[in-house]
This record gives sequence, structure tokens and C-alpha cells, in this order.
Amino acid sequence: MLAISALSVFGIIVLFLGFSNNKSALMLAAMLSLLATFGLALYEWQHPEITPAVAAGMMSFDNLSILFTAVLLVTGILLLPLSERFLVDPKAQPAEYYAILLFSMVGAIMMVTFDNLIMLFLGLEILSISLYVLTGSDKRNLLANEAALKYFLMGAFATGVLLYGVAMLYGAAGSFSLSDIALYVQDNHDNLSPMLYIGLFMMLVGMLFKLSVAPFHWWTADVYTGAPNFFTAYMSTIVKTAGFAALYKILSVSFVGVYDYWFLMLAICAVLTLCIGNLTATAQQSFKRMMAYSGVSHAGYMLIAVASFSDKTPEAIFFYSLAYSIATITAFAALMRVADTKGSADFAAFYGLAKTNPFLSFALTVSMLSLAGIPLTAGFMGKLFVFMSALEQGHVALVVAAVLMSAVGVYYYLRVVIAMYMREGNGVAVTLSPRFRVVLIATTVLTILLGVVPSLVAGAL
Amino acid sequence: MQVSSPQDYLPIIIQFALALGFVVLSMIASHAIGPKRKAKIKDEQWECGIESVGDARAPISIKYFLVAILFVLFDVEVIFMYPWAVNFRYLGWIGFVEMVIFMGFLLTGYFYIIKKGVLNWE
Amino acid sequence: MNAEASELALELALIPLIPLIGFIINGLGFGKLNKTVAGWLGTLAALGSFANTLHVVLEHWGQSLTVDYFSWISVGSLDIHFSFLLDPLSSIMLLVITGVGSLIHIYSMSYMHHDEGFGKFFAFLNLFLFSMLLLVMGSNYVVMFIGWEGVGLCSFLLIGFWNKVPAYNAAARKAFVMNRIGDLGFLLGIFILIALFGSVEFGVIFPQAAAVLTPNSGVAIALTMLLFVGAMGKSAQLPLYTWLPDAMAGPTPVSALIHAATMVTAGIYMVVRSNVLYVLAPTTLEFVAWIGLATALIGAAIGLFQNDIKKVLAYSTVSQLGLMFLALGVGAFSSGMFHVVTHAFFKALLFLGAGSVIHAMSDEQDIRKMGGLKGKLPVTFAVFLIATIAISGIPPFAGFFSKDEILSHVYEHSKLMWGLGLLVSFMTSFYMFRLVFLTFFGGFRGTDHQKHHLHESPWLMLGPLVVLAGLSIAGGLLGLPPVLSHNNWMADTLAPIFEQAKAVNASLFGHGSMTHETEWMLMAVSTVVALVAFAVAAFTFGGGKNVPAADGSPINPVQKLVYNKFYIDELYGAVIVTPIKAFGEYLYAVIEYLIIDLVVNIVGWSATMGGKALRRLQTGIVSFYVLLMVLSVVALALIGFTIKS
Repeated sequence: MLAISALSVFGIIVLFLGFSNNKSALMLAAMLSLLATFGLALYEWQHPEITPAVAAGMMSFDNLSILFTAVLLVTGILLLPLSERFLVDPKAQPAEYYAILLFSMVGAIMMVTFDNLIMLFLGLEILSISLYVLTGSDKRNLLANEAALKYFLMGAFATGVLLYGVAMLYGAAGSFSLSDIALYVQDNHDNLSPMLYIGLFMMLVGMLFKLSVAPFHWWTADVYTGAPNFFTAYMSTIVKTAGFAALYKILSVSFVGVYDYWFLMLAICAVLTLCIGNLTATAQQSFKRMMAYSGVSHAGYMLIAVASFSDKTPEAIFFYSLAYSIATITAFAALMRVADTKGSADFAAFYGLAKTNPFLSFALTVSMLSLAGIPLTAGFMGKLFVFMSALEQGHVALVVAAVLMSAVGVYYYLRVVIAMYMREGNGVAVTLSPRFRVVLIATTVLTILLGVVPSLVAGAL
Repeated sequence: MQVSSPQDYLPIIIQFALALGFVVLSMIASHAIGPKRKAKIKDEQWECGIESVGDARAPISIKYFLVAILFVLFDVEVIFMYPWAVNFRYLGWIGFVEMVIFMGFLLTGYFYIIKKGVLNWE
Repeated sequence: MNAEASELALELALIPLIPLIGFIINGLGFGKLNKTVAGWLGTLAALGSFANTLHVVLEHWGQSLTVDYFSWISVGSLDIHFSFLLDPLSSIMLLVITGVGSLIHIYSMSYMHHDEGFGKFFAFLNLFLFSMLLLVMGSNYVVMFIGWEGVGLCSFLLIGFWNKVPAYNAAARKAFVMNRIGDLGFLLGIFILIALFGSVEFGVIFPQAAAVLTPNSGVAIALTMLLFVGAMGKSAQLPLYTWLPDAMAGPTPVSALIHAATMVTAGIYMVVRSNVLYVLAPTTLEFVAWIGLATALIGAAIGLFQNDIKKVLAYSTVSQLGLMFLALGVGAFSSGMFHVVTHAFFKALLFLGAGSVIHAMSDEQDIRKMGGLKGKLPVTFAVFLIATIAISGIPPFAGFFSKDEILSHVYEHSKLMWGLGLLVSFMTSFYMFRLVFLTFFGGFRGTDHQKHHLHESPWLMLGPLVVLAGLSIAGGLLGLPPVLSHNNWMADTLAPIFEQAKAVNASLFGHGSMTHETEWMLMAVSTVVALVAFAVAAFTFGGGKNVPAADGSPINPVQKLVYNKFYIDELYGAVIVTPIKAFGEYLYAVIEYLIIDLVVNIVGWSATMGGKALRRLQTGIVSFYVLLMVLSVVALALIGFTIKS
């Protein structure tokens, strides 16, 4: 609760700081805001009595919510220094970008802490609308404009479906509160209103859309490709974490009683997502587009964790989203530098990178191995947790599908490694600024560290 | 409450299909049977007897849009004050403070707009 | 933890840690350290690990000790520990890995001396040692799997070490992808183990195995089959073997260490480790035996007429690995391990010897351009000959004993398999002696430039060769057959590993009902077969005759000469060589290129096509996307509706 209030105010402050001419102070201010929010979130871990006193049952900061908030903020903190290009680009509007970024973070945190469908909707919309704007933030880039418009049109459609679903749920249960809905489901278990099923179904469709789960993922590739690299990195990490946390929360609190109903839907979507995401990624020539489909496929793995719904699920989602976010940050950091230097986001732009920048190549290799799920990286542990949680419930078929598709994943992640190490480049050197270097060191160390000693964070719950 | 089973919906589906079928059928029929005459003058756009000039999709200055959306924004936000005013006594001082905070945010936004020069027409 | 236990924990941890430290220093210092420092650092890391292993193993010989370091992954009820297991099986593997590994490190210091990636090479080698040690020391399947993936990664890195050549990169990727197919099987096997036993710890699973798994039940077969798929990938068994010959693209010491002596035997180690599970699934064992036999036959047949010195050795490795799996399949687990050990000695020696030849020949690998090297490279020739005798199964060298032990177990199991095993033995002896004759005998067939350069390798390279030659001669002492001695050291040492399996099926582990006469007969037969093959090879290729034609030249002058002078050779050629050669080439062309590569390619192709088809749906038109979404919603709603009602 403190985190949300503070972050909103910080956003406004950053917005007004834009009137001064000191652009580098902006990044500092945004960074301090995120750090302060992080501190406040941890403070609430120690003082769980704060939120219930003021939130009037609309949201709750339990430990799981705070952990997800921490993942979101860490992602933000690691990403922020990568935006340094905005500080020197005369056409960029860093104050507005950072302010919107902080506002969107407010939305994301609301999505992991809501206790009421209204708050879920508000959070989702704050996040989505901010992202529509940020996608089109490069005003003179036609591709970015197209992406923003597409995202907005389809996003609005999905929001409509979601809101319709929420209304139906209200009609069935007579309340927006998660616990009231849970109570309704429990008390009327044999005689549930059809409206509840329709409402749940539509709400799930709306959420799965935002999470780019197949078959609602069509916007993903176009939007991810069109958006500026920095914001693509932002939305492919933050939205996944927040969305899956929200999905898990709503299903685990309110709809345990109708597990059979939503399990099937999620299982079908998970398998579809894994197949479509991984297979389409193999056919890409652009690194950025490949990363877009890779994002789709990872949604599939996380969906398996949600669908399996065991006692390991929260841990699996938490660890997986952390591992995925960190590896994705590295990947996009590399992409930003390569694309800025060579003007292309294709695989060909990565040729010979190992020669000109061994450190960057190493970091990107670790990130690719993590995304592919090779042992001793965080990604492997994430997959392991997800598969364990599915196996505990006996969903062997789901795990088999996921393992097979992760083999396909190895193929396209390895392409990047081969491009860097085994192809001759044109000799144009890719350099790294100190900020990039610090972020890359942090993400690489974290990826390996979490892969070797997952108990560092996995036991936090 | 009586539990409804899928087959109970069958009459509705039949009725729906009939309605849809009638619309589609009559559209196809009128298209197939009706006489067709095509001429240049017949296909021309016509408006109140005046010949059309130029493209209807002429660009309009973005400022119109900005001012319009800002008006809607602030206008709608003020509506929020009516229910507060009705419940003023019941909400008491806490309500008053909350409303002040809300107005504060709104004014901050307004101040930001002015600072940004959005309302300068030139 | 008392003082003794913590001392053991430290010593055990140091075994893999020393190479890891070597890797870190060499990896970080690449380009900064000079070659001498980097080389000695890497080598000392291997030697240090060997010395430490020796110390630990001797001190705790015959014991089975588990050292638990920390709780590593803990999810719900499943608790996976990071822990090491020191027992006879892992001790033997540790000694082989660090011992042969050290020798190869020493050799590499000289062999790789002119390479610009010298430090990187040693870093990778050390990383490989670390992963391999992790693989054999892990006390549960997950730690083993980590090492398993690690060695795969190192293999990938080292095959593509000379990454300027695109074909080498393709080979590296082929190896990695094929290994991944195997790894999937292994991983799924581990998941089934978790589902069945709720643990991955050897010490928990094996004692319960007989109680949980019904012998030859579907679950037991599925589990062991999946684990075996993993072994197939790593140990290059049919149909996942084609990566191994391609892997020869890597530097020769790598071929010796990774693709002959150690990594490829990981699959065998894993099956031996899981022996209880396999004994509970006789159907899988039968399958393993046949796959092993088929691989041994095909590998040997293709090896018959390869002209690249390393390719011959590579196919020979495939074939020998097949033989080891044949041993496991008939339940002769300790014989399989025995062959792993002797094979590590003589195959490493063969590869390093080949490296010495290639070194002398200025990087020429084609045996048609060699010949008559025995005078110029006397030491290399001598050790290469020793290794050849060893691998051919001629007594009293190491290979004879291990191969004979396998064949005698196979004889008990099935006469047909034994006959086919003898055929493998014949072909092995034949192609190895062919290799020796073409390389070291006759006249020199290379260029003048190469002739001028011919030189014996420096002692830094010859030293390890001589040591390995000694081991190849004496290695047989590790497992003497019952007729010669009552104590088969290898079998006795490994006996505790098979306690649980013995409880399930004692007949597999008995000394058998074989009389001494039968044993003598079997030994005689296999020796005679090897000697006959030697005679055929000597007769056909001795003195540098019948050098295969160069690719693409219709009439080879050398062959024409042979035709005119020795009519009888031509007759031999027509009667013996041509059919065998045709068979070998048929297998090479049809089985390898047509069937196996085709299957692999079809899998890849269908994935690519699927990707392309899906990409076509990505039109970029919003209304189309929305249409697709609405259709999906309707479809999902219908499914949900039918399920509910």
C-alpha cells in the first residue's frame, strides 16, 4: 500500500522534474523512486498491519504479493539504466517516459496485490494504457505508431471482454471481492449460476490476452517488434510477472471450487502457447522477433505452473518470472547495443560479436542458456520448479509436451550463440557504457547464482 | 432453482437460426432479383444537391483534439464532486481531506498542462 | 560432523574444484596469461585433481560413502541435496578420468602449442574435467544430470574450437542437438523417478526399487528405456551415433579425452549405476543388448574402409561402445565397466598416436597420403602397434581380457549374439591393422614438403603415449578370467554395487556354469579370429599394397601398378575386399545418410515447416487477428461447455 501511494507521488515529481534542463537527474530520480519503493515494500513485510488498516479490503500486501512486487521492482531497477539513450536523444522526452514508467509500475503492483476485481481491472488498465503510450513513444517511427495503434485496438477489445466477464461474476456472486466470490462458489457448489462460468471464462480470455497466451497472442510479435527496444524489454518482463501473479491469485483465492472447469482451458492454452511460441520462433530471422515469440513460449511454461495448481505453484511462478525477467533483460540489453551500433536487429547483426565484445557475448550466452533451460542457470531451476509442480498433480502429459518444446527452444537460442561465436562479423565494434556493463554483470551473476543456489530466493516463501 | 440442461436451449437456437437465415436469405434474394443499373452519375457522391469538393478526410490541427480531450477530462472529473457534495455531512472531515487531495492531483495536472504550453494556441 | 568426516568432505570437494579453479583462472586470464603459464596451470589442475583422487580413493578403498554438502533444491516434499558419492564404481571412474585426463593435458601442452586459442583450450579442458567429475561423483540423478549437461556443453565448445570452418560448426551443433534428444529422455526418466520414489538420491531409490517396481512392468520398462535414450545420445548408440564421427572436427586431444576415453562412456556409467532398475526390466536389457550389438556391427563395418585416420578411430569408438552396451544388455555390468577402463587406455593411446602422426604429417589426416612412417616415427609406431594389438583382442594385452570377458558372457546369453560379436571382433582387428599397414608400412605417399617435415614428436607428447602403452599392455590384469585366476579384481571390487540387483535376479551375477574347457575354447576362438583378421589385413595391405584410390580419380596409378604386378592381390580384392567394402559403403551411405540423417532432418524440417506455417498466420492485419481471437474464444467456449455438461 505504501509502495503504491509513494510510487504515484514519485511519478508526478519526476514528471515535473522534466521542466528542469538536467536530464541525467531524471534517471537518478526515477532510480531513487524505485529503490525507495522497494524499501517500502520490504518495510511492509515487517509490518503487515499497515495495509488492512487503510485499504478497506480492496488490496492486501501478504508475503507472496510483496515477493512479486519485489520481482517487479528489481526488474525495473535493472532495466532503468539501459534507457540512457533517452538522455542524449534530442527527440526523446525522458521525463514523460519515466513518469509513465513509474505509473505503469503502480498498475503492475496493483495487479499483484488486489483483493477485489475492481482493483484488478484498475491495475491492468493503468499498466496497459501506460504501455500503449510507451509503445508509440517514438513518435516519428511509423512502425512504432502502427504497433501502438494495434496494441491499443486489440487491447481495448480484450479489456472489453475482461470487463464483461467481471460484470458477469458480479451478477453471479453479487460482489467484486475475491473472498466473497470464493464464499459464493463454496456455498453453492452444486448449483452455480451459469453466469459464473461465462464470467470466469471471459475474464480469463481477457487476462490471457494481456499475457500473450495463444490463441490470443497475435498482437505480441507485431507490437514487440514495433516498440522501441527499451520498452519491449519492459513490457515483456513486467507484464508477464504481474499478469501471472494476478492470474494465480484470482484462481487460487476465488475459483478453487471450479478447478476442473478452468484447468482444461488453461491446459489447452498452455500446450498451444508452447507449440506456437517455440515453433514460430525457429522461423524468425530477427533477434527481436525471436525474443517476442520466446516471450510467448515462456508464458506457456508459466501457464503450466498455474494450471497444475499444487502447493509448489506460487514458488514456481515466482522463481520462473524472476529467472525469465533477468535473462530477458540481458538479451534486450545486448539487442539495444547491437541494434544501435549496427542499425539492425537481425541475427546477422550478431555475427562475430564474440570477437569485438567478448564480455557482451558471454553475458548474452548465459542469458540464452538460461532461457533455453540449460542446467546451472536460473532458467533451468525455473523450469524444474514448474515441472515439479505439474508432476505433483500428475500432469505428466503437460510436462512431456513442455520438455519436448523446450528442446525446440534450444535450437533457436543456440542460433544466437552460434551467430556470435562461429560466424565472421564485419568488424564493427559494439561498445558498452559503464551503466550497461554494471547491469549486465548484475544480471549474469544473478542468472548463474540462482542457477547454482536457487535456495537463495526459493525459500523466501 | 431449476437446473437447465443444454437441450433446453434448442428452441432458442432454432429461432436464432431462423432469424439469421431470413435476413441472409432476403439479402441474397434482393441482390439476385433486383434490377441493377450502373451509371457514372448514379455512382457519384451526392450531398444536398451541392457538388462535393476535396477529400472528406482533411487533416485537422491536433490542437482541437487536445483541447477537446482536456475539456472532457476536467469536466468529467468535476462530476466526481457531486456525490461527495450529497454525502458531505456523512463523510465528514476525512472525506473533505480526501477530496482536497483529489483536487490537488487534478490541479497538479492542470498546472502541468499550462507549463507544457498545451493551451497556447500559436 | 566429526573431524574425519569433514576432512573427507573437503578432499572430495577438491577433486572437481581444482579443475574448476583452473578453468576460472585460465578463462578469465585468456589473452593475458602467456602460453607456458596457461598450459602448466591447466595441466597442474588436472594432475592435482588426480593426486587428490588417488589419495582419497586409496584411503577409503572399498567403502561406500555419501558426503552431503547442502540442501540444494527444496520444493515442497522433494528435497534435492548437493552431495557426492564415493564408492568403488565412482572411484574407478574418477581414477580413469583424472588419470587419462592428466596425460592428455600434458600431451596437449605440446600438441596445441602453436594454436592461438591455447589458453581457451585449456580452460575448456578443465571445465570438461570438472563437469565429468561432477557427473560421476553426484550421489543423485540431478547432480549427475548437471554434469551430464556440462560435458555436453564442453563437447560442443571443443568440437567447434576451430570455429573458422563452417563444417566444424555444423558438426558442433549436430553433436549438441543429438545429445539434447538423448538428454530429453534422461530428463523424463528423472521425472518418472521423482514421481515414483519422491527422490532422486541413489541411496533412496535403489533399495526401494524392487519393492516399488514390478519386474518387467510397463513403468519399469518406460523408465529404463527413457534413461537408456539418454545413454544412447551421450554414448553414440544407434540411431543417435552420427554426431560422434563428425565430432572429430575438434582438436585430436579432445577426440582422445572426450570422444573416446571419458564422456562417451557416461551413458555406460549411468546404466551401470542404475543396474537395479535395469535388472527389473529384462525387456529393456534385451533391447540394450541388441542396440549395442547393432551399433557395434555398423560402426565396425563403416570403419573398414574409411580413409581418414581419425574417422577410422571414431567409428571404432562407436563400435566399441556398442560392445560395452552389449555387455550391459546381457547383464555383464562389471565386464562392461572393465572394457570402459581398458578402452579408455588403448583408445586414448590410439587417438594421441594418431595426433602424433598428424602432427608429423603437417596436419594431414588422409592415410592414403601417409605410408612408411615407422622409420621416421619409431616410438609413435611402437605405441600405436601396442594399442592396435590391444584393441584387436590379441593376448595378453588389455583388450583381449575385457573383450573376452564380454564375449564369454554373451556366449552364455545367446550363441547368435556371440557369433555376431565375433564378427565385430574380426572387423575390428581387420580395420585396425589396415590402418597400421597403410600408415606405417610401405613407401611414403605424401608430398615432398611433408616428407621433409617428418619428425618424431617431442617427449612431452611421447611421454603420455608411453604411459598409456604400458597401461594398454598390463590393463588386463585388472580382470583376469576365472581360468587364470580366482580373483577377478574388477568384478570383486564392483560386487557391492550390484548387491541390490543380485537380490532381484541372482542368476545374472553368478560365475556361470561354464566349464574351463569352454572358457579355453572361447578364448582360443576369439584369439584365432583376431589373428586371422590380422593375416587378411597383412596380406591385403601389408607393405603398403592396395592403397585405396583417391577420391574422384577413376584410375589410380598405384592401383594399376598393383594390378599388373600381383594378380593374386586383385583376386583377394574381388573375393574379400570388394564385398566387404561394398557392404561397408552401403551401410555408410544408406544407413547413415539415408535413414538416420533423413529421420533427423525430417524432425528438424517439420519443426521448421510448422514454424513457417504459423508465421503465415501472422499477417499483421488487426481485423484478421481479432477474427482469429474470436474464433478461438468460440472454440474454447464450446470445449468448456461440452466438458461442463
